[in-house]
Amino acid sequence: MDSKKVADKLDPVILALTQNRLDHISHQMGWVMVRTARSPIFSQAHDFSCFIAGPTGEVVSQADGIPIHTGSGGFGVRAILRDFGSELAEGDVYLLNDPWEAGGNHLPDWVIARPVFVDGQMVGLTCNRAHQSDIGGGAAGAYNPTATDAWSEGVRLPVIKLVEAGKTREDLWKLLMLNTRTPHLQDGDLRAMLGSTRIGMERVAALVEELGIDNAMDYFTGVLDHADRSVRAEISKLPDGVYEAEDRSDNDCFEIRDVTVRVRLTIENENMTVDFTGTDDQILGFKNSSLGNTYSAIYTALASFLDPNLPHNEGAFRCVDVIAPEGTIVNANEGAPTTMCTVFFAHEIIHAVWKALAQADPDRGCAGWAKNVFGISVGKEDSGHPYVFYHGAAAAGSGAVDGRDGFNQIGHVCTLGGLTMPNVEVYEQLYPVMFHRQEFRIDAAGPGKYRGGSGCDYEVDILTPATHSFRGEGLNYETGYGINGGKNGASGRMHLRHSDGEIEEAPKFGLRRTDTVRFVTQSPGGGGYGPPLERDPELVLRDWRDGIISDVTMRDIYGVVASADGKSVDSGATNALRGSM
Amino acid sequence: MTITIKSPPWRVGVDVGGTFTDLVVADSDGRTEVYKVPSVPADPGEGVIDALLTACASLNQPIEKFLGNCQFFLHGSTVATNTLLEGKGAVVGLLTTTGFRDSLEARRGLRKDPWDHRTPYPPVLIPRYLRLPVGGRIDAKGNEIEPVNLDDVRIACATFRDEGVESIAVSLLNSFVNTSHEDAVAKLVRDENVCEWVSVSSDIVPIMGEYERTSTTAVNAYVMPRVATYLTALQQKLIDMGLKTKLLMLQSNGGAASLDQLIRQPVNLLLSGPSAGVGAMQHLATGIGENNLVSMEIGGTSCDVMLMHEGRVAITDALSVNDYDLVTPSVDIHTVGAGGGTISGIDGAGLMYAGPEGAGANPGPAAYGLGGTRPTVTDAHLVLGRMRPGPYAGGSVSLDMSLAEKALDTEIANPAGISRTDAAAGLIRIVEQNLLHAVERISIQRGYNPGRFILIACGGAGPMHGASVGRKLGARAVYIPRQAGAFCAIGMQHADVRRDFVQVVMRELNADTANVISEGYTHLAKQALEALQNEGFSEENTEFGYELDLHYEGQQWDVRVALDPDAMPDEIRTAFEIEYDRQFGHINPESRINIAKLRVVGIGKLPPLEDPKFDAVKVEVSPIERRPVYAESARDFLDTPIYRGADLSHGQGFVGPAIIEEATTTILVGPGDRVTVDALNNYMVTFVTED
Repeated sequence: MDSKKVADKLDPVILALTQNRLDHISHQMGWVMVRTARSPIFSQAHDFSCFIAGPTGEVVSQADGIPIHTGSGGFGVRAILRDFGSELAEGDVYLLNDPWEAGGNHLPDWVIARPVFVDGQMVGLTCNRAHQSDIGGGAAGAYNPTATDAWSEGVRLPVIKLVEAGKTREDLWKLLMLNTRTPHLQDGDLRAMLGSTRIGMERVAALVEELGIDNAMDYFTGVLDHADRSVRAEISKLPDGVYEAEDRSDNDCFEIRDVTVRVRLTIENENMTVDFTGTDDQILGFKNSSLGNTYSAIYTALASFLDPNLPHNEGAFRCVDVIAPEGTIVNANEGAPTTMCTVFFAHEIIHAVWKALAQADPDRGCAGWAKNVFGISVGKEDSGHPYVFYHGAAAAGSGAVDGRDGFNQIGHVCTLGGLTMPNVEVYEQLYPVMFHRQEFRIDAAGPGKYRGGSGCDYEVDILTPATHSFRGEGLNYETGYGINGGKNGASGRMHLRHSDGEIEEAPKFGLRRTDTVRFVTQSPGGGGYGPPLERDPELVLRDWRDGIISDVTMRDIYGVVASADGKSVDSGATNALRGSM
Repeated sequence: MTITIKSPPWRVGVDVGGTFTDLVVADSDGRTEVYKVPSVPADPGEGVIDALLTACASLNQPIEKFLGNCQFFLHGSTVATNTLLEGKGAVVGLLTTTGFRDSLEARRGLRKDPWDHRTPYPPVLIPRYLRLPVGGRIDAKGNEIEPVNLDDVRIACATFRDEGVESIAVSLLNSFVNTSHEDAVAKLVRDENVCEWVSVSSDIVPIMGEYERTSTTAVNAYVMPRVATYLTALQQKLIDMGLKTKLLMLQSNGGAASLDQLIRQPVNLLLSGPSAGVGAMQHLATGIGENNLVSMEIGGTSCDVMLMHEGRVAITDALSVNDYDLVTPSVDIHTVGAGGGTISGIDGAGLMYAGPEGAGANPGPAAYGLGGTRPTVTDAHLVLGRMRPGPYAGGSVSLDMSLAEKALDTEIANPAGISRTDAAAGLIRIVEQNLLHAVERISIQRGYNPGRFILIACGGAGPMHGASVGRKLGARAVYIPRQAGAFCAIGMQHADVRRDFVQVVMRELNADTANVISEGYTHLAKQALEALQNEGFSEENTEFGYELDLHYEGQQWDVRVALDPDAMPDEIRTAFEIEYDRQFGHINPESRINIAKLRVVGIGKLPPLEDPKFDAVKVEVSPIERRPVYAESARDFLDTPIYRGADLSHGQGFVGPAIIEEATTTILVGPGDRVTVDALNNYMVTFVTED
């Protein structure tokens, strides 16, 4: 039955109840995960997502989860149906991670999927994608900055039947436990994933039983159709045309050289094509994006640009065609290293798509979120206890949009800021470190009618010898682009002050072993929106009084003059100055 | 109205809400009477006085005499919340450690909905140019690395004077392990006498985490001058009118404290009002002999859900008010946008929705005739025969059926191609699903099975949905207080005085730490006893609760356990593991456990209100009328008896369908639901047939 006919006979009340109920079930799966998983990453950072697919593998609900997980769940589910379609049975559970063989996004994110049966008929799958604490490979903690292929990043899993007819396959379970450095965490985390999908399965089965199978399948289709119509309605508001844009990184994880994502976005009525033809070839280092991750990045860009309330299911993607040439950084060939891709090149893909969309609808344009510059420091406490310290308090500034200045310090764009920063007091308790500064930068925010986020000045002493893994994406070039006349945010800077007083410029990538050392970092600023001369002079004065901009910036970039006591705007002088600029 | 209350001394509870000010008077026998008057947002105290005058008129007493006979006067006020929401607080200056003056504005990047990146943060309460640095540093263990620079404080105070600062906040790094720098800065700030109001983070909330501690201190400083001035004036006015007792304010923790004790910690008042539901739940738990309860209090715009497990309502530290993040002991309330004014419609792609948007008090539901054209829950109930057209809410508005019909037709029935009745019934189903999900959330998310709870339906709009939601939830029963519309004001009648004290510890739990715990408890209990003595309690009327916040080494979230103060470390470990397992489904027997905080809760027991006794009545009760009312399970209008609540007494009951009209609410009893009036004179609904 085609969508139109299904829509015609659906009761709008039942449709709403079904949509809400599916979303509620995916939230419930998330609560169970948070409550039962072992690794702190799940309860602290919510680095997982729960979703529900229909019997053909289309994701009907993904209410729970982080943006960069949204939009690619269906790849894995369809790989399961491809490999096990005819033999899916009640009580089975499947596991996968491989981006090429099994529709994964990157190796650390494992998907547990459990088919749901009602009266012997498969009516859908409940799934949980979660970041594992360690998956083997060349470095502890799943991120290997020196990896040049997938095998040095960790174990590759095709679709495997982990539980058969209710019985866990102990041989496979042991295999998995042997391939992680943290089996005690992984054992608990996998069990939590199994538990959350079981709750989901029970609730989905109950829903389908209440509605009746045929009716329920019509309403699942109806939920997808509604998302489809919602996105089509949004896209049809954009003027038809071809919009080209690009965003670049200045390194391939080993050398300084430009690597560019190029996008050609075509809007024709209510359809959109996102074509990455012309994008650079895949690189040696671990930022290459898998196709699944590229879809998620596109979805994140689209939903955040159009309307954050658009339904998060796969119907929302039906009107979007993606062309991602194989062997490029947006669709790397089998065996390429990809672990970092959920952050970088996801960032560049989101930026490129945002820039193209902004040509279609400038008012909704989003200025660039500066790329983060911080990595991790790994060492041993006096007690001999190992520690892994994220320099997360050095977060960069976000870009502005119409009506909102950039967030001065915020998490990565791939999470839309969903990952929070630590309190320095908490980190001083947990790690052998002492902070000296975490304050907004001056003159780093991209100027604009709405200015970018300021970034921060960050200084911390690492009080033991340590090995540092550098991820200085936002160092030494401007990554928070301005839009609609707004200016770029300032680039990031970082140096190390060694215990002997020597000062060393920090590398952008790679590993470095040091004695006690001070990190001195200026995290980069986000881009501005609209011409700086259109910024409300009161807001300019406030930024100046706040020390976010200097005297020179207030005068030369914003054209604002303060009164003699510095507490108000000299309107006459400001008008005269702005008139002359 | 028949006045049932008789003789003083009176106990008065006043809850100032957005629309109504509720005043409840209890007499010496524990009988209560509810008075509702419209709130006066511009001067909430005027609403309090109006309510008092209304009560006095009804009791035929001069106000001096009535107030003179008040033994306790409890008050829930939104003045602190409104000051924050409306941005009408003081000009505040902040003193903070050099290098760290921006945590208040960076907010750790916390945002409720990451997808919604276009919405800015609410304005920072203290502009950066008034957040000034003070040199000096305490390290993580409490050692002084660099002495405090008091010259910086003098320079900052000069700036504060010049900028007209009205209230000063002090929050220095690591003050939770060593207060000496904050103490020195606070002393000098007071000596400098820039302004009357000083808030010091180690006094307000001595916890780890500079963002939350600073934010809480900043909110306190921001609301303090206005809250203190307003409440002091109100108290004085009541004293001038004859009140002979101190004003007891309801705090966010659900307990009361006298205004004098709270005047420098108004941050504790942000949930004043809604938190009083705890008192009502505790009272009901005793009265009905059930200690697993979930309350669903529905008003015009939202529904507050609270959960009591084995007699305890969870108190959390985290409170977010309009995205300002606070740490202050607060009743754990989950709020969803579902109330009488919740708006429904069809979205651009053909999906029906209900909420979270609401029509507020003005224009309100379409049926009010105040200009609202979008259908709400109230409009749907009217069309479904569950409410009657005409005067409503004490006559303050009148419900117009034709306007409700028009709104439902235009916004839902016509665009969706369904009947008006289906539109109205569908609207209610979607809202009730939202309510159901809210109750499931607060129970399942915290590890409880909602089927083991009794659902309490309250608030003016709650009893219309209680039976239906309770049935879908699988709740054992639904309990509806007769005075459901004044749940919080009733709750105040049953509040005790409560003060919370906390100390950060950060030590491993082992045999050696027993003395650390006992010393900490002794210190906190002394503070708590002093606070209660200042409230006028003698030691025999006090109770102390002892709690520990614990976590496994390396984890950053705490699990709280309540134990005897002399529990030994191995008993503490066992209690922690039981609670950890309940919440997270596993334990880590190998892992070390750290003590994060010690807490002492001091309770000053107010004399309990006697439960009035109601004799059981055997006679059949007759409805005042019958009319067609839509029943969801029949998917049709059924001829339904309408009862007047005042006609129903203890022992009487019947099987629905039925509607019971009470003074402050309307109760919908579905087909097959059995309702009885219990010994407390309230309604208990049980389910006789399966849905």
